[in-house]
Amino acid sequence: MKIVLSWIKEFVDIEDISVEKIAHELTMAGLEVESITNYGEMFDKFITAEVIEKIKHPNADKLSVCKVNTGSEVLQIVCGAPNVAAGQIIPLATEGARIPNADFVIKTTKLRGELSQGMICSESELGLSNDHSGIMVLSPETKIGIPLAEALGQNDVVFEIGITPNRPDALSHQGVSRDLAAIFNRPMKTKNLSPERIAKRIEEVAKIAIEDKVNCPRYSAVVVTDCKVGDSPDWMKNRLRMAGMRSINNIVDITNYVMLETGQPLHAFDLNNLAKSSIIVKKANDGTKFKTLDSVERNLSGSMLMICDGEKEVAIAGIMGGENSEVSSTTTNILIESAYFDPGCVRRSARALGLSTEASYRFERGTDFEGTMYAALLAADLMQKYANGKILSGELDIRAESLKKKEVTLRFNQIERILGYSVPQDKVVSILRNLQLGVKEVTDKIVVMTIPGFRPDIEREIDIVEEVARIHGYDNIPTVHRVSSPLVSAVDDLEMVNSMRRVLIGMGFNEIMNNSLQPAEITAVTGVPVPVMNPLNAEMSVMRSSLIQGGLATVKNNLNAGEKDMRLFEYGDIFIKKGEAINSFEDFEEVTVVTMLITGKAATKTWNEEERDYDFYDLKGYLKSLLESYLVTANLGHVYKTESDPVFEYSIEVFSGENKIGVIGKINDSFSSLFDIEQAVFCAELFVNCIERKKDKLKKYNPLLKYPKIVRDFAFIFDSEVRFDVISDFIRKNSSPLLKKISLFDLYENEKAIGAGKRSLAFTLEFYDLNRTLTEDEVEKEFSAIIQKITKKFDAVLRGN
Amino acid sequence: MLNKISETKRQFFAAAEGIKNSKELEDLRIAHLGRNGTVATLFEEFKTVTPEEKRVLGKELNLLRQELQARFDELKEVIESSEKLSAPKIDISLPGRVPNKGTGHIVAETMNEIITIFKKIGFSVVTGPEIESDKNNFEALNFPADHPARDMQDTFFINKDFVLRTHTTPVQIRIMQTQEPPVRAIMPGRVYRNEAINARSYCMFHQVDGIYVDEKVTFAELKGTLVHFAKEYYGSSVQYKFRPSFFPFTEPSAEMDITCFICGGKGCRVCKQSGWLEILGCGMVDPNVLKYVGYDPEKVTGYAFGMGIERISMLKHDINDIRLLYENDVRFLKQF
Repeated sequence: MKIVLSWIKEFVDIEDISVEKIAHELTMAGLEVESITNYGEMFDKFITAEVIEKIKHPNADKLSVCKVNTGSEVLQIVCGAPNVAAGQIIPLATEGARIPNADFVIKTTKLRGELSQGMICSESELGLSNDHSGIMVLSPETKIGIPLAEALGQNDVVFEIGITPNRPDALSHQGVSRDLAAIFNRPMKTKNLSPERIAKRIEEVAKIAIEDKVNCPRYSAVVVTDCKVGDSPDWMKNRLRMAGMRSINNIVDITNYVMLETGQPLHAFDLNNLAKSSIIVKKANDGTKFKTLDSVERNLSGSMLMICDGEKEVAIAGIMGGENSEVSSTTTNILIESAYFDPGCVRRSARALGLSTEASYRFERGTDFEGTMYAALLAADLMQKYANGKILSGELDIRAESLKKKEVTLRFNQIERILGYSVPQDKVVSILRNLQLGVKEVTDKIVVMTIPGFRPDIEREIDIVEEVARIHGYDNIPTVHRVSSPLVSAVDDLEMVNSMRRVLIGMGFNEIMNNSLQPAEITAVTGVPVPVMNPLNAEMSVMRSSLIQGGLATVKNNLNAGEKDMRLFEYGDIFIKKGEAINSFEDFEEVTVVTMLITGKAATKTWNEEERDYDFYDLKGYLKSLLESYLVTANLGHVYKTESDPVFEYSIEVFSGENKIGVIGKINDSFSSLFDIEQAVFCAELFVNCIERKKDKLKKYNPLLKYPKIVRDFAFIFDSEVRFDVISDFIRKNSSPLLKKISLFDLYENEKAIGAGKRSLAFTLEFYDLNRTLTEDEVEKEFSAIIQKITKKFDAVLRGN
Repeated sequence: MLNKISETKRQFFAAAEGIKNSKELEDLRIAHLGRNGTVATLFEEFKTVTPEEKRVLGKELNLLRQELQARFDELKEVIESSEKLSAPKIDISLPGRVPNKGTGHIVAETMNEIITIFKKIGFSVVTGPEIESDKNNFEALNFPADHPARDMQDTFFINKDFVLRTHTTPVQIRIMQTQEPPVRAIMPGRVYRNEAINARSYCMFHQVDGIYVDEKVTFAELKGTLVHFAKEYYGSSVQYKFRPSFFPFTEPSAEMDITCFICGGKGCRVCKQSGWLEILGCGMVDPNVLKYVGYDPEKVTGYAFGMGIERISMLKHDINDIRLLYENDVRFLKQF
C-alpha cells in the first residue's frame, strides 16, 4: 500500500516529525515501511524549462540540438526523442541531477561533437510511468524554472507499506493516520461533510432490493445527476499517481480517491443504463456469461453474488463492474454504490474467477460496515465539486440486523500475564482511546470497548493485548533470560539420522538434498506414488517413493558437469500410497530413508596408487561399516536376489528380524538409461525407522584374549555356482566353537589351470579359546575334519600347499 | 688343523674390517658361520682326528666359534643402528594418499547448528509428517477457511483434506495433542510452497519451529530465549529488534531482525543497505490454538517461533541462488 505523506497530514498533525521517524515508528507498530520515495529529493536539480529552438544534429540522424530557456539562462541540450518541439514546457535534468530510473548523474558533455548541458526526460526516465516513447510534455501553463517536483505537484513523500492480512483498516490513508495518531498521541481530525442537495429525492430515480442479506448485509447508495465527465483536477491526478493508480476520468478517479482515503471500495453506475432504475443484489444463475469492465467474458457460478438491475447482471459484487453499466464520456447521472460484502463470499468468487482487484482485496479482508454512507457522501461531494454534479436529497441504505459492533473486555492483569510486564492503566486506556476503539467503561480492573466496524480483526481480549503491545512498543517489553519449568527429559527424533550422517561424512560421502516432488512415471517404479493435485509442472507431480531417482538425476547432472566419480548420500522422507484414495494417514506411508550411491572410480591413478573402478563390494563394505558403527547387527538377515528387478540388476535385501531394513545392489542398465547414465551405479537404501539402535541394547564386555591364536589356511576348487556364503556357513556349522573367524583371502578363476566352471577359494581360519592355550594337535584334528567335510559336501578339490 | 683354525680366524677378522652394510655382513655370516661355512667345515673335519688331537682342537674350535659369533654380533649391532639412522631415503614432499572429503549438505548442517543451540537449553527435537492434514496445517492453527491469511502460504494439495505442509508449525499441534504442559520442543523439517522456482524462491525449503507452553510463559521470556539464540548463533555483539507482525497462530506476533552479520549493521548489498536482516517470526501462542488442543488458555500461556533455514544458509555463505542448494553439483557440495 502506497501512502502519501501530504494526504496523511490532512488527518493528523505530524508536521514537526521527520520522515525517517514516521517510517520507523510505523514499522515498529506493525505497519512495515518497505521503502520511502522522497520526490523532492529524487527530483533535486530537475527543473521546468521551455524549448525555444530545435534543429537537426549535424552528425546524427536521430538526434536534435535544442535550445531551452530555464528562466535564468539558455542551455543547449542534445535530445533523441522524436516528439521534442519548440514551444514545449519540459522536465529538464540539469548538471548534477541523478536520473531515478538509470542511476547516472547528468554532466555537461559533447554528444557527437555538439555541446549538451543536460537532459530532457521521459516519464519512464523520471520513474513516473513506463512510458518511454518520448519526452514528457508538461501543461503549457506550467511556470518555467521551477523545481520539477513542485510543477508535478509531487513535492511529497510516499511510503510503501506492507500490510499484513489482519489489518484491512490500514489499507487506507485514514487508517494509517489513525495508527500515527495513537503512536504520537495526537488527535485525529475528521471531515465534516454537508454537501448541498437538490430538492429531487433519490427514491424517485432509483430503488434497491437485497435478496441475499447474508452476503450483502449493507448497501448504501447516493445519486448524483448532471455530471460532466472529464479530466480530474491535477492535485487528484498527482495523488492517485503517487499512490500507484492511473487517472481515467473524474468520476472513476473520485471513486478510487475515496477508496484510498477511507478504505471503502465504491462503484459508480451509469444510472441511465440501469434497467428499471433498480439495483437487486442476488446470487448469479449458474453458467451465466458476464463481460466485466476489462472486456473479459466471465463464467458465473451460482455461488457468486451479483449486482443486477431490473433485467440483467451489472457487476460482480465487490470485485468488478460490468461493461454494460460502465461510466462513459456521455454519462451524466450516477448511482454511487457503497456496500459491505461478506469477506468469505468475495474471496471465494475472486478465487474462482482468478480475478483480484483493489476492491476485492479490501472486501475479502473486511471493510468498515459502518463507513459505507460516509464514503458515498464523500464521493458525491467530490463529484459536485469536480464534475459539476447535483446531489439528490436522501439516500438509500439497507442494513441487515446481523451487523453489530462487538463488545470486548480487557482485564488489565492480562497484559502482564501475556507480555511479562505491566503497562500503567492510564497509558493503556489512552492507547485504546487514540486507536478509537470505542472505550465505554473503565474500572480499576477492566476496560470495556465497543469495537468500531473498521477493526474487524479485533474480537477478543488477546487482540486488545496486542494493540497495547504494538503501540506501546515491543522495545519496552523486557528481555528475560530465564526458563523456569519442571525438568522433563528431552527427546531427539533426529539423533539416529544425524549419527548415520556423521559416519557417512567420515567415510567420504557427500550429502545431497533433492526435491521431494518428482515426475510420476519414474517414481511409480519404486512404489505407488502420492500425486499432488496442483503441481507446478509434470516434472514435479508426485511425492517421491524412493530417494534413488533423485540420486540418479544428481549423478547425471554431475556427469554432465564433468564429475565422474561420486559417493553420495541423502536422507529424507519417502511416500507410498496404500489405499485407493487418501482419506486418512492410514492410506499412505511416510518413512525416513538414507540412500547411498557410488559410481565411477574408487581410486584414480597417482604415483603410488593404481586406478580402480568402484564395484558392488565397495558399497557392501561401506554399508557393513555403517551398520556396525551404530546398529545392532547380530540378528541381520539377508535375501540374495540375483535376477534383475525394475531397479536393481542384482541386490541383497537386508533384514533385522522380520523387518526389512534396506536393500543394496547394482542399478540395472534399463533403469539407469532412463537417466542417460552409462556407467555402473551401486546404491543402497536403508529404512531408518526400522533400524534398531545400539544404545537400545545393552552391550556386554568381552574379555580380551590372553592366549595365542592358531591360524590355518586352505584353498579348494569349487564349482563356480557354489556361493561363498553357503561354504562359509557350512564351515561354521561344522566346526567346534574353537573356530572364531573365517576370512576369504583369495579368489582365483582360470580355465586352463583349474578348469571351466570352477573357481578356487582360499580361506584363513582362526582358532582360539579364551581360557587356555590350544594345542597344535587339537587344531590339526579340527582342521583336517573340516577339509574332509568340505571335500565330501561340495565335491571340492583341496589344492596342494 | 690348528693352522686352519688360525687362518679362518684371520680371514674372518680381516673381512669383518671391510663390512659396510647388512648385506655384506650376512654374506660373511654365511661364509663362515653358516650351515656350510668354514666353521662348520672345520667341525666336520674335527670328527676325523685322533682323540688326543680332539682334546686340544675341540677347545680351539669352540673358542673360534665364540670369537667369530661375538665379532659378528658386535658388527651387526653397529651396522643396523647406523643403517637405521641413514636409511630413510624417502621424499617426504611427495603427495599423500588423500581420501575423498565427505561433506554435509549446508542446509542440514545449518539446521543442526540451530538445533544444537536449542537442545542445550532443554528443547526436545520432534519431527512430523510432510503430508499433513489440512486440519493440522491450517484449521488447528487458527487459519480461518476463506481467509486471505491462507494466501501467505500458497499450498500444494493432495486433496481437499491433505496438503504438503506449508510450515513445520503443525508439529506443535501433534505434540500438544499427545502431551500435557509443559511442552518445550523444536520442530525441524521440510516444507512446501506452491511458488514458481527462481533464484529467490523454491517450491520447498526447511524450517525450524519452536514452542514452549507452560504456566506463566510470557513475551518477555520469548524475547530472552530468542536473543540468547541470536547471540549464540550470530555472535554476542549482535543487535536485535522485534517488530509487530501477523501470524494466525500467534498473538501478539513479531518478526525479529538482527544487525546484518555481513557488514555489522553498516549497510551492504546483503541487507539492502538497511543494516538489518529479518531472521525469524514469533509470538505468543494464540488462545484459539491452545483451546483446539484442549489446553486452558486461562491456565497456560506459550510462545512459538519459526525460521527458514535456506535463507540463513544463503546469507551466511553468500549464496545468491537458492537452486544451487538442490542441484547437488559435487563442485558446490565439496566447498563446505
